[in-house]
Amino acid sequence: MNSRVLPSLAIILSVGIFFAYVKPTWSGPIKETKTAIAYDDQALAAANAYRAKQNALASERNAIDQDNLNRLSTFLPDSVDNVGLILDINALSARSGFSLTKIDVLKSDSNTSGNASNKTLGQAGTLPVSRANPIGSVDLSLSAVGTYTAFQAFLVGIEKSARLIDVRDIVIKGSGTGVYTYQMTLRLYWLR
Amino acid sequence: MALPPTIPTSFVPHSTATPQKFRSDFTGAFGFFAYAILGIVFLLALGVFFYGRILASNQSAKDAALAEQIKKIDQTTVENFIRLRDRLVSGEALLAKHVAFSEFFSSLEKILPSTVRFTTLHLSVDSTGVPEIEGSGIAKNFNALAAASTAFAEDGRIKDAIFSNIDIGKDNSVSFSLAATLDQKMIVFSP
Repeated sequence: MNSRVLPSLAIILSVGIFFAYVKPTWSGPIKETKTAIAYDDQALAAANAYRAKQNALASERNAIDQDNLNRLSTFLPDSVDNVGLILDINALSARSGFSLTKIDVLKSDSNTSGNASNKTLGQAGTLPVSRANPIGSVDLSLSAVGTYTAFQAFLVGIEKSARLIDVRDIVIKGSGTGVYTYQMTLRLYWLR
Repeated sequence: MALPPTIPTSFVPHSTATPQKFRSDFTGAFGFFAYAILGIVFLLALGVFFYGRILASNQSAKDAALAEQIKKIDQTTVENFIRLRDRLVSGEALLAKHVAFSEFFSSLEKILPSTVRFTTLHLSVDSTGVPEIEGSGIAKNFNALAAASTAFAEDGRIKDAIFSNIDIGKDNSVSFSLAATLDQKMIVFSP
């Protein structure tokens, strides 16, 4: 009798161990751990790729002359700084013999102002992300009087300004005296 | 002494040795099979247990390595790279569309006959980036205005020039209005 009972119990115990421990453990925690390790491997590979890319980018950035980087920052500054720009425009008009009578801000395509560099930062613990349109712009309206020669000098100065300024609109009215009145709309840009 | 064949025997055949041996072999094989299965399953359970431990340890090590790598990532550096990239890409795009009306004025001085002058001039860039010109002026006479029209047509950069509101004065001077579009090349900035 015992010669059949004990093997039967062994079979039952085997089945019990297999279905109560081996199979659930294999398809449960072990599978989850393997999946987590696979994700970790991917993340580590991405981290290594990131470090390699960062090193390559740092080398490329270091290869750019610092003066050129500074000029680039002036060309497209981090903030709108329209007051500083108005001062520069006023100085340019004085050098050109062009007399500014009024300067006004017309519109902005962004409600942001000031230094917006932190806006690229992501949530805590996440990397910064790039935005669809990182450029902000605002239109300035200028009224001025002056000779055509002064206007030309002023216009060339605006066009070749170290900070990017686009002339969007010019209205010139003659007076018959050689001195004209000018209405100009300038668009200035900054990196948000 | 031999029994006579007519006498019935009380012979009862005892079981043969062969089935008894089969039952004994079957029991032994079943037991062997059962214990073998138990052993295999036990080893399997041990293997799964230790494999799970090894995997958990492996995962902990990789989690730690990953956390270390993440810690090494400097958000400020990333942000600086992104801003530099944005600045370069956007700057290039904006510079490609940078408007330089001074080139138009220089060209207009050469194209326009000296007998024609503008009293008002409105230059603008529409929403699609096409430069436009609207203005009014005075020509010394109708021939001067015709010469201006011909000059615009020959130059080709002042397109669709439409002279309107043409009014001939008592002194034969002709006042006019002009609407035209400009070739993009005429206002492209060149450093």
